[in-house]
Amino acid sequence: MLREKLSQFHTMILIYMIQTGVYVFSIAQNEAQFFGTNGWLSVIPISILVCLNIYLISIVYRLGEGRSIFDILEQSIPKFILVPFYLAISLVWSLIGCLVAKQYVLIFQMFAFPTTNPMVFKFFIDVLAFLLLTKGLYNISKASTVFFWSTIWLNLLMLYYVGEFKLERLTPYVFQDGGNMVEGFFQIYLAYLGYELCMLLFPYADKKTKLMKAALYGHLIRTASYVIMSFVSFGVIGHELLKQMLFPLLDLLAYIKLPFIERIENLFYGFFLFTTVITLVMYFWAAGESTRRVFPRIKINVHYFCITLVAFMLSFIPKVLDTIRDWIMILGYIQMGFAYVMPLLLIILLLMQRRKKAV
Amino acid sequence: MKLKKKLCVMLLLLIMLPLNACGDQRVLEDLGLIQTVSYDLLPSGQLDISVSIPQADPETTSQREVLSASANSSKEAKMMMSRKTGMLLVSGQIRNVLFGESLARSGLKGHLDALIRDPSISSQIKISVVDGNAGELLRDNYAQHPRTGRYIDMLLEKESQGQTIPKVTLFNFQRDYFDEGVDPIAPLIRRQDSSYVTTNGIALFRDDKHVARIEPKDSLVFAFLKGKFREGEISIDLTAPGESKEIVMFSSITSSRKIKVSQGTDGAKKIKIEVNITGSVLEYLGDLRLSDERERKLLEHRVSQYIHKRADAIIGLMKENKLDNLGIGRYVRNRVGFKQWQKMKWREEIPKLQVESSIHVKIKDYGKFR
Repeated sequence: MLREKLSQFHTMILIYMIQTGVYVFSIAQNEAQFFGTNGWLSVIPISILVCLNIYLISIVYRLGEGRSIFDILEQSIPKFILVPFYLAISLVWSLIGCLVAKQYVLIFQMFAFPTTNPMVFKFFIDVLAFLLLTKGLYNISKASTVFFWSTIWLNLLMLYYVGEFKLERLTPYVFQDGGNMVEGFFQIYLAYLGYELCMLLFPYADKKTKLMKAALYGHLIRTASYVIMSFVSFGVIGHELLKQMLFPLLDLLAYIKLPFIERIENLFYGFFLFTTVITLVMYFWAAGESTRRVFPRIKINVHYFCITLVAFMLSFIPKVLDTIRDWIMILGYIQMGFAYVMPLLLIILLLMQRRKKAV
Repeated sequence: MKLKKKLCVMLLLLIMLPLNACGDQRVLEDLGLIQTVSYDLLPSGQLDISVSIPQADPETTSQREVLSASANSSKEAKMMMSRKTGMLLVSGQIRNVLFGESLARSGLKGHLDALIRDPSISSQIKISVVDGNAGELLRDNYAQHPRTGRYIDMLLEKESQGQTIPKVTLFNFQRDYFDEGVDPIAPLIRRQDSSYVTTNGIALFRDDKHVARIEPKDSLVFAFLKGKFREGEISIDLTAPGESKEIVMFSSITSSRKIKVSQGTDGAKKIKIEVNITGSVLEYLGDLRLSDERERKLLEHRVSQYIHKRADAIIGLMKENKLDNLGIGRYVRNRVGFKQWQKMKWREEIPKLQVESSIHVKIKDYGKFR
């Protein structure tokens, strides 16, 4: 089947958009809580670690010569072992997707329509996601580019705080007055998750895509945006108050006001729906990639429909914002494990396969 | 076929849309958009809360609606007030919060918490302390200034631009409250009979309690010590006892401040506050000729001397009350090492500080007359 391959630019933005989720609102709080003074620095080493992980994935890409990771797995591992694994991982992915969306909805409801059933909003987001899914990966990547331009300018708003920024609020101390830094490390790492989905993009890319470079650049945009945002948060809000805030970014955005109307930050919050939808869509898409290996004869749109439906049903269960955060954390840890174990496993398999061929 | 499918989806969405809006409807005409809230502490320990709501209804003659209630918490009071009005009270457009002196002196902590926690309330609302009773000030109608809420808002906004009062938002206040190296401040306002409202200096807080104040004539000096600003005016009376009158009006002031921390004697910290002030003289009553450089330098020196004296008085007041509203603690913290800072009881150190202020005044121009 002839289909269009991803372009490098679109892939870069796609990776950035998958990484950008609801986490942007609270990351500065996590940095202050776990790392204390100048906690914004913590995003840099963690970002470097992510870069190494991307490098690991790029080895798989090179050794596998662009073959799908599922093909590589199936060549060496019997299907009956893989089937439960495929189902499990697609469940994890669809859960991550739907919980991120539900978290977005619940935060949104703190500002608007607090008593409407959150599942009404969730339903609409899922419909949107499903419609986007049925258009295929290439179109998702194009849509995400449109969404990218409608959100990236929000970073420029950080210039608005130059007057309030005080160097002495940053303090010369690094990581003092924090908490458990190991826990903090995992928490911040979660904010970067999403890049690992580039493993599934192998068959959709060709030489011209320079897939791994695109993933790296996308991740670097995300890093730069986190660094700027956290740096500004620490200089404007200060680490002591940051520890107390749940969504520091929203308070920062509250700075912007027009003489005739207050609270335009609530409108800005709407823009983040775009980034959330892409995260959701891509995790659902990943889940679909996995389930179609189990049921190859069923049409792909039916897969997507079932995934969206199951995820929608499951998202009825957690009702409290904190519960969702706990769920996402657990799923995030699983996903982190996947991000490291999978490439290692694949490299081993590929080396074995290569040896077999040679013999 | 494809078109049909699309139409189906559209139709479905159209049906769902009105369903969605049923629960949380907000019709603008039915909303009571609270603009100003006042809090007072009653002797019984209850809160006396008033709100002022601008009226949009063309059929009423009044410009605003004022509601009051006494209750144990602000949210409870809101429910009680809601029973007295046909409008749905919402807090999304609050611009000003006024705390009565009685409440400010007993501590604002819990009340601020209620404001911060509510996501519908902006963190950019202005906080001020009323000299006397805040409810009375808000409930009163000032004949020359219809709509008291808007009047107070404009007054605070404009005066803070000229530095006679600080601009304090809920966000600034809570930031200073949580930061251990600085204590919060808030502007003071006062009701003058039934004719007008005036700003009345600055309230100094120790944590969340209002303990001391800066008089209006010193508020600009406080602003010099507090930080950098552009735009301000100060009138200085240099008249020495028994001599002829000498008054200078300093305008278009820009000022910057530096704080240096070093080790002083007896283990106490030595703080040097350096202030550079530039401005134009637009009114001068006295014997010096401003066009003469030597005499102008003399005037600069005398103005510096005056500000220096007032600054020392302000610093003295803060040391006496163990206050750090200037944020000196932040500089000490950044200097001494974090472990040392945590061990140090900063509040207890304040009276021991050796603070030295050095004020440099520069007359940029002196108008268009020699």
